[in-house]
Amino acid sequence: MSSVNAVFGLSGCALFSLALIATVLRLQRLPVRVRHAVMLAAALALLVPLGDLSITAYVRGAIGDLSIPTLVLAGGACVRQLIGRTVIGQADRRALCWILAVAAAFLYPFALGLTPFDPYALGYGSIGFVTALLFVTLAAWQRRRYLVVLVVLSATLAYLAGAYESRNLWDYLIDPLAALYALAWLFGRALGRRSVEVADTKTQLV
Amino acid sequence: MVAAALAFAGLYARVLTAPAPGGFAFPQTPARAASSPAKPFFSGELLPNSTTASVHSAAAAEISGGRLRAFWYGGSREGASDVSIYTSVYAPREGSWSPEHVVVNREFAQRHLRRYIRKLGNPVVGRDRSGRLCLFFVSVSVGGWAGSAINEMVSDDEGETWSPPRRLITSPFFNISTLVKGAPLQFSDGAMGLPVYHEFLGKFGELLRLDAEGRVIRKTRLSWGKSSLQPVIVPRSATEAVGLMRYAGDPPDRILVIRTNDGGAHWSEPVKTELPNPNAAIASVLLAGGDLLLAFNNAEENREDLSLALSADFGNKWRLVRKLEPGSPPAPVSEYSYPWMMQDQAGDIHVLYTWGRSRIKHARFNRGWLESRP
Repeated sequence: MSSVNAVFGLSGCALFSLALIATVLRLQRLPVRVRHAVMLAAALALLVPLGDLSITAYVRGAIGDLSIPTLVLAGGACVRQLIGRTVIGQADRRALCWILAVAAAFLYPFALGLTPFDPYALGYGSIGFVTALLFVTLAAWQRRRYLVVLVVLSATLAYLAGAYESRNLWDYLIDPLAALYALAWLFGRALGRRSVEVADTKTQLV
Repeated sequence: MVAAALAFAGLYARVLTAPAPGGFAFPQTPARAASSPAKPFFSGELLPNSTTASVHSAAAAEISGGRLRAFWYGGSREGASDVSIYTSVYAPREGSWSPEHVVVNREFAQRHLRRYIRKLGNPVVGRDRSGRLCLFFVSVSVGGWAGSAINEMVSDDEGETWSPPRRLITSPFFNISTLVKGAPLQFSDGAMGLPVYHEFLGKFGELLRLDAEGRVIRKTRLSWGKSSLQPVIVPRSATEAVGLMRYAGDPPDRILVIRTNDGGAHWSEPVKTELPNPNAAIASVLLAGGDLLLAFNNAEENREDLSLALSADFGNKWRLVRKLEPGSPPAPVSEYSYPWMMQDQAGDIHVLYTWGRSRIKHARFNRGWLESRP
């Protein structure tokens, strides 16, 4: 099982690295064939071992195994850079980012020792935690936020299958990179909205 | 919709069918001598170290034939990339240690863990319920000790050969900041207990429960905040245990104590004992007969005095009984620290500790020596 865990872990880190490379290089500005060639070359560079380890193994050493939201967002970023249009709608992305931000605020401060309460321990098996997750999923379904539903279901199935070394459900649902992305995205949207409002006000004054 | 129903049915089934956690397995070692020879006995020797300039953090387990297998880490300096985990075997009849050899080095660890490893750290060793030796060791991929994670290797042949290491996942934050120092213990449901501590944003202890595959299946917080670490857990029944912890907070610098009465499900808040602690590791063992023995640095300022104290009331009151260090000859560097203590099935007590950072020292004695006048 440990080798299966390693395959999943390394694949996730490779996908994240590819998304990072594609986004930094802004591949979608290049011709389609060049995009594919760059991604193929990057994948080879990431996965082919140099000595004992591949570059992906170094990435895995630094950030660990990645949660399903990170993989979904990374996959979305790769596809966007490859085909030139986004596959994750704004409303879906906003809903996912809000849920990730709230989950991060609940999880990290307490899991890092701020209080005697450890929400991370709930991830080893808690009826309350599973029920809360069920309600979030049902609410997302009812509001047609299918990306959230997809992420929760994928994370649940990966957890039940033991895809990673972790037996804690939290590790499939969130990681610090997903949390950082969500906070940055929400912050960026809030800033963008504020600057539009300021511009509108100036226009009206003129 | 069907997929969602199945997925959540699976989640509920896993939670509802999980067995209730068991209490402590007691006694932790199945056969222990009821009494030791009355004649006081003490021996002390340095473990072999033919290759490394710096050694630290010894641990040991009794293996077949009444022998001891010790582990420690050594390299050019603490935190260097050439640090490896070493082992040596003690034969009590000969009173000597075998030449040390490497159990795991950085390259071996990263090859099997499939991730970059920058350095290795503290090892601890214990037995699971099926009798296998389980070696846990710290590794770091990025940063200092705050970036630590724990790995486990298992041996079916008393430490002659080992499984490849596997990673324990213990924290949601990049799985960093978890270290080991205290001895593992057993639970009655077959799970293994591993006292761990964190030192990233906070310094606090936790008790992990591991299944037979070495996966973390539950954990309990022992303390919180920024001042307690390196918990040592000593059960004395299926429900009752005491925990002793290193202190890293404001003065007065004292060893911390915590207690549980429900098999480790809940723990009392840490309370300062009367014993000093210079922000240094401690070790404790429940002796045959019920007394609690503690090895600790008996000072608030430094690690130059390594002493032993006994408690007849399970850690409420302590009586200083012996001083292990400084002995003669003194170490080149006056530091005697990181004790590991155990009682073997013959009743002898063993303390292994860092001797001047350059060697591991082994002190072997019996209850008679402990109680006799120095």
